[in-house]
Amino acid sequence: MLKRLPVFGQTTLLAIGFAIVLLVSITEFYISDRFNDATASVSHTIEVQKKISNLLLTIRRSESAQRGFILTDRPIYLQDYQDSVADIRPNFDELRMLVSDSARQEANLDEAEPLLQSKLNELGETIQLATGGQRDKASDIVKAGAGQRRMESLRGIFERMLAVEANLLDERSHDANRLQLTLLVLGLLALGLLMTIGALSVFLFRRTLMQRERARAALEEGYANLEGIVAERTSDLREANDEMQRFAYIVSHDLRSPLVNIMGFTAELEALRDDAFQKIAALQVQANSPPSDADEQIAKDFDEAIGFIKTSIGKMDRLIHAILRISREGRRELNAELVDMDTLLGTISDSLAHQAEERDATVEVAKLPPVMSDKLALEQIFSNLIDNALKYLRKGEPGRIEVRSRQTNTHVIFEVQDNGRGIAPEDYQRVFDLFRRAGVQDRPGEGIGLAHVRALVRRLGGTMSLSSEIGKGSVFSVTLPRRWTSEKERNAA
Amino acid sequence: MNAQQPVTIIMIEDDEGHARLIEKNIRRAGVNNEIIPFTSGSAAMDFLFGPDKTGNVSKGKALLVLLDLNLPDMTGIDILGKIKQNEHLKRSPVVVLTTTDDATEIQRCYDLGCNVYITKPVDYESFANAIRQLGLFFTVIQVPPTN
Repeated sequence: MLKRLPVFGQTTLLAIGFAIVLLVSITEFYISDRFNDATASVSHTIEVQKKISNLLLTIRRSESAQRGFILTDRPIYLQDYQDSVADIRPNFDELRMLVSDSARQEANLDEAEPLLQSKLNELGETIQLATGGQRDKASDIVKAGAGQRRMESLRGIFERMLAVEANLLDERSHDANRLQLTLLVLGLLALGLLMTIGALSVFLFRRTLMQRERARAALEEGYANLEGIVAERTSDLREANDEMQRFAYIVSHDLRSPLVNIMGFTAELEALRDDAFQKIAALQVQANSPPSDADEQIAKDFDEAIGFIKTSIGKMDRLIHAILRISREGRRELNAELVDMDTLLGTISDSLAHQAEERDATVEVAKLPPVMSDKLALEQIFSNLIDNALKYLRKGEPGRIEVRSRQTNTHVIFEVQDNGRGIAPEDYQRVFDLFRRAGVQDRPGEGIGLAHVRALVRRLGGTMSLSSEIGKGSVFSVTLPRRWTSEKERNAA
Repeated sequence: MNAQQPVTIIMIEDDEGHARLIEKNIRRAGVNNEIIPFTSGSAAMDFLFGPDKTGNVSKGKALLVLLDLNLPDMTGIDILGKIKQNEHLKRSPVVVLTTTDDATEIQRCYDLGCNVYITKPVDYESFANAIRQLGLFFTVIQVPPTN
């Protein structure tokens, strides 16, 4: 769970980041649109202001040109007057068009229009008088001050209009500024947020990476340790096993030495006994005293004692011999080769044919697959198993021994089945133990055959199992790898 | 042993029982030569090589060595090597009679110049039989005197 969390966090962060970018983009688009509007309004206001000032200026120019002409009668003033007056009407109309969005300014213009008209009339009238030679009359009209008053009124209206526009300009610039600020703030905020998210993702990513790295390192170390431990244990086991083998060999070897003496001197004793009894018999003949029952009893007791010693020695000798054989087998190096099992089993059953005939038994071997294994070991395994099967048949029942096989991808399972006396379930394990036997002890044997077989099967990388029923027969299964490699080859590889 | 000089059998065997049984069985084969038993390697070495360790003491004698490899104080292999490297003793036949049947051990003994290698049979019947045959072998073997 803990390890999943950063992944989830990263995805969420990425989604949040994208959402922020999207939101900011939309907002900025909207705001910049509004900003454009505001900027356009500001330039419009400035245009209106310019127009108003221009109009006022043109009116003033025409007025001053009128006065100049009346005073001096110089045609340059008249020309100036005519140019200016011609500009007034178009300027006024343009202004009206520009302020068409503002009712207030339109009202102002409406108010200004009659004033302007009467001003123009007055100007026109005085100029006509002046050009018509009545300059004094024109001068009187100017002096009367009606034109002057009209001009003042017009200026008042235009100044009011300018003030309105100035207010508008203020307002609109303020709006534009505010929008600009908002845009800036929003942009900075988004940048900050994205940077935070970026930093957070980098942090989370690095943390995950480091966790993974640590986990991987730990795993690697674990593997290395495990391999080391396995190698160590294996070598320990091998050493222990080797030591056991050496021990068994030395013990059995050294036990044989005194046993030879015991046997040897027992034989010497027997020889002495014969000499001694012959001597006694000769003495009895000399002394003319016939052998008594007591004498015979002595001879019997002597023979009995010697007999027990000899059988015990024999048994001990066989056991030591068995240990020695097993330890020697354990030390023998096994070599893998391709073994034709048909030929191998054929040879074994041929060599046991005589024994089988004696016991009224048949040995049937099915077609068997070849295996890569140690030939001598296989020979010992199967001749032991078939020999056992022949040895423990039921009396009065023709023996039937079958050898067959099954296969898996990697292993071959050989089965040796007999219809003999069988083994009780509680003895399944016991029959494989060294020096242990099961059932009626009416056959010679030391109880090493199956122990030896199982040891060999294990050395060949296989397993042994047994299923049996008392009075029906037994099946010994030997599972062997199809391709076994000897330790030497494995080490070389 | 039909040498001009009677051959002396030097028996180096730490197990006195074995030594006795070997002697008895050799005698049964009709061998009447002197048998000198040693139960330790060093005692045998002293006898064969003398106090100066040169082997001069054995000069001119006809000897046959019956050697066990497992001795308490030294290995029979060492004794074998020393006998076969000594100029006086090197021609004396050495019969290794031991319990070891290890193939490399047997090879090593022959490499060192051992003349006969016999593994003591495990059971007494075979043992006695083998010794008797060895005894018969002793009656026909030619042993040169040391020089």
